[in-house]
Amino acid sequence: MTAYLQVAGLDHRFGGLRALQDCSFTIEQGRITCLVGPNGAGKTTIFNVITGFLHPDEGTVAFLGQKLDGLRPQAIVHAGIARTFQNLRLFTDLSALDNVMIAIKSQPGEEPIGAIFRPLHTARAQTRRRQEALATLDHVGLADRAQDLVRNLSYGEQKLLTVARVLATGAELLLLDEPASGLSAGALDAIMALLRRLQTEGKTLLVVEHNTRVVQQIADDVLFLHQGHLMAHGTPEKIISDPALAEIYFGGAL
Amino acid sequence: MDFLYSYIVFAEIYVLLGLSTNLLVGIVGIFSVSQAAVFGVGAYVVAHFLMASTPLSFIPSLVIAAACCVALNILVTLPSLRVSGDYFVVTSFGIQLLATAVFTNWATGTGGANGLPGIPPPDVFGLSIETTQQYMLLCTVGAGLGCLCFYLIMRAPFGRLLRAIREDETAVAAAGKNVLRAKVSAAALAGAFAGTAGGFYATFLSFIDPSSFDLDASILLLTMVVVGGARTLAGSIVGPFLLLALPQLLTLVDIPTTIAAAARQLIYGVLLILFMLFRPQGLAGEKL
Repeated sequence: MTAYLQVAGLDHRFGGLRALQDCSFTIEQGRITCLVGPNGAGKTTIFNVITGFLHPDEGTVAFLGQKLDGLRPQAIVHAGIARTFQNLRLFTDLSALDNVMIAIKSQPGEEPIGAIFRPLHTARAQTRRRQEALATLDHVGLADRAQDLVRNLSYGEQKLLTVARVLATGAELLLLDEPASGLSAGALDAIMALLRRLQTEGKTLLVVEHNTRVVQQIADDVLFLHQGHLMAHGTPEKIISDPALAEIYFGGAL
Repeated sequence: MDFLYSYIVFAEIYVLLGLSTNLLVGIVGIFSVSQAAVFGVGAYVVAHFLMASTPLSFIPSLVIAAACCVALNILVTLPSLRVSGDYFVVTSFGIQLLATAVFTNWATGTGGANGLPGIPPPDVFGLSIETTQQYMLLCTVGAGLGCLCFYLIMRAPFGRLLRAIREDETAVAAAGKNVLRAKVSAAALAGAFAGTAGGFYATFLSFIDPSSFDLDASILLLTMVVVGGARTLAGSIVGPFLLLALPQLLTLVDIPTTIAAAARQLIYGVLLILFMLFRPQGLAGEKL
């Protein structure tokens, strides 16, 4: 049986630093998997490899049986995998709605010929896409902030917007890089509820998280990464209660 | 009145160039100082086909010139994909100097430093454009179409995509969009605008020489975009009309003719610096 997402034998060096070391794991469809580990373990590097921003020295990534090696980031999004960034990377001078609309795939008018010679068709299609984008914003709870510029949104709202942007791509496997970091308690609950809701809608999530409360509350599986290598995997309870892992992660038992 | 019509014609030609520069430098963020070179290529190509042994009429010549400039602009902006902002300016500088050298030395193709005289007036659908007034109408149609194209592009998803690319290319790629294709398309379009402007310029003046397409001209284009306002349609119109009015205003002041040209350059330079320091968004635009 082909695994949903299979990462095999990933190896990568940045100069003298070995970021990934024979890293292998699989992700099950429809589950929320949390990727945890100390800083520098290689979590964001793995995201970059899976989504085509980095070509590993060795190893392969396969999604639904199809190899992703050498594909450009935009091709991987079309294949069904989308990611967020730890530092958000939203378009700050654009509105929330525009940020979402950029990610909607195959819109007429995205190249000059169509924009110039078929303006009415483009405008009609844009009206439809705008409705879709508003629905996506509503889904994450940002419907009333649609016209606001990103620079005027709160940090919590910006984080919700990053999720809206990946949802707009239509991808089924979402890679979220620290979606809960830096959030107050209320915003934290909102985002956890959102992630669980996405799971019931059929999305598969791979989430990098440092917050153990979040991991306990949302994760079905946990992958513990250390020095570029998968050290352990299992249920949240098993990983969090393991004293050896706690030693690596916190420098002492939890 | 002829004098006024002349001013409007020049302003409208530079509006097309302003749209081209705004698209490339303002919206996509490729800081090119070689737009005058592309302008020149457009002018020389149209002149060539209008004066060839089997001459073509105006519109087909314009189309060929626009096509050449599309290809040229793509070529000229390719280094920007590898070389980041500040370094690309140096590359662009080199390209402009290279173009000026070719215009000046390739005597058989461009008439060399003496220029290309005797370019015939255009004929559009059988109508010969003789008077300045008729030319102004033609030019207004051309500039109007250019503005319409710019407006449609910026309103469409393509415009939004370009603005996002300027902010964060990586995020755009992560959203599933082809960044390279968008940038190349924008550069191609900017080339088409510049080449068309060159065609109008050549047929209006009926004489072109390399001095109209040199580095000073490129910098004038940047000044127009900065003063008029970057990244907007209004800025692309205000800048040229204002800056081309300046020489006319200067004639009202008593400046000896020996330094008139230098005085104009000085004023343009001072304006550019002042605006970049104190009003970077120009009169009608966004910050460059």
